[in-house]
Amino acid sequence: MSDVPLLRAENIHKRFGDEQVLRGVSFEMDTQDVQVLVGSSGSGKSTLLRCINRLAEFEEGEVYLDGTPTSEMDVNELRQQVGMVFQDFNLFAHLTAVENVTLGLRRVLGQSKADAETRAMRELEQVGLADQADSYPAELSGGQKQRVGIARALAMDPKLMLFDEPTSALDPELIGEVLGVMRDLAEGGMTMLCVTHEMGFARQVATDIMFLEGGTIVEHGPPEQMFDHPEHERTKQFLERLTTLHGDHG
Amino acid sequence: MPEALSADWQYVLANACYLGEGLVVTIELTVASLLVGFAAGLPAGVVEVYAPRSERAPVRWLGAAVRNAGIVLRGTPIVVIITLAFFAFGISPAFVAATVALGFRSAAYQTQIFRGAIQSVGVGQMEAARSVGLSQLQSIRHVVLPQALRRSVPGFQNEVTIVLKDTSIAFAIGLAELLTKSYDLFQSVGHTTAIFELILFVSAVYFVLTVTANQSLEALADAVSVPGSEGQ
Repeated sequence: MSDVPLLRAENIHKRFGDEQVLRGVSFEMDTQDVQVLVGSSGSGKSTLLRCINRLAEFEEGEVYLDGTPTSEMDVNELRQQVGMVFQDFNLFAHLTAVENVTLGLRRVLGQSKADAETRAMRELEQVGLADQADSYPAELSGGQKQRVGIARALAMDPKLMLFDEPTSALDPELIGEVLGVMRDLAEGGMTMLCVTHEMGFARQVATDIMFLEGGTIVEHGPPEQMFDHPEHERTKQFLERLTTLHGDHG
Repeated sequence: MPEALSADWQYVLANACYLGEGLVVTIELTVASLLVGFAAGLPAGVVEVYAPRSERAPVRWLGAAVRNAGIVLRGTPIVVIITLAFFAFGISPAFVAATVALGFRSAAYQTQIFRGAIQSVGVGQMEAARSVGLSQLQSIRHVVLPQALRRSVPGFQNEVTIVLKDTSIAFAIGLAELLTKSYDLFQSVGHTTAIFELILFVSAVYFVLTVTANQSLEALADAVSVPGSEGQ
């Protein structure tokens, strides 16, 4: 492995109209890192994730993947290498679970139907849903939908996975199954950048926690430091509140 | 011929085959116009939704052109369009002129049906497709349109009904469709009293056709509905 970080965001500025959402965000991730991004609602967490796979364009700054500026990459190629999991799942509503996973394999990677199905079934098995392969999204629970969403992203063999509040739309009793899959992924060496409020997960799985506020990263560090000895009073207050609200599912 | 029927009804029944020829033209004109409308209306619906946000200026111009053409077509009476096509532009035979007129007018309406259906598919579907690496066109083709088409059935049922009944406008250019044929019959010497019976008969035929077309589309919608999701 070279010493170039897998992901480097440099001085990202992003504006929606008059509102400056990101004001110079910079950070790095190495392969197999699990970064947890926290911050109050409206602080730009989701926007930052979207800047990384360029679902959102930004005015200033650069994102490097494996040392290559993403602005010079073909956007569809970039997105194959960066998987994304959404808060609202966004499963293709007219396709079965297995078809949700095969669509990218067939249309983007050009795999045959049989190859794509074999691969998709392997991913569905990994998230524990092989028996639901032929179910449509409307027939699945929220937790099952999100696990299909994870399988869909994983099937493309991404170098990096982005999780945009993957459990926020779930009933409390369904959160555990999704976090379990994410934990397995992290243990398997996947590089992950997660926006989440699940502090139990963050404490146990994260290699690093970043606190985003006012459009910049106020503080970041390993979980022990962030939870137990944060530099900023604001970080301490925020993480304590999150732990009280969301600490017990991980 | 049953004795109990009046002379006028007997005249209608005696000319059933003659009216049947008109019925065939009506059905052919309906199908041809709807196909023209679909072939032009579906891409136009896609263009109306996506072109205005394109980074490329020519694509945005195309969007504006499509939108304005639609406004003109929707704002012009069908009688005007059909007489222009046949008499002013000299399109012939009359069947082709009628197909062009009804087809383009239908395209303008179908554009709005598909535009609404496409916009009703959540933006998250497009984002998810793009995040996997599909291009915008692939995302439209494989993710947005399959869902939008299912949602456009109710609007399309309406459109089928409108086009079917509006084929009678081809009367204005003398095309031998159902209404023109019935007109010929009650204009014949000695049969002008059959006008009520003829119009009633022809109306019943239009009614049966619209009901049949609507029920067929209903069955199609059921056949392609996505399991677990109501009304899609």
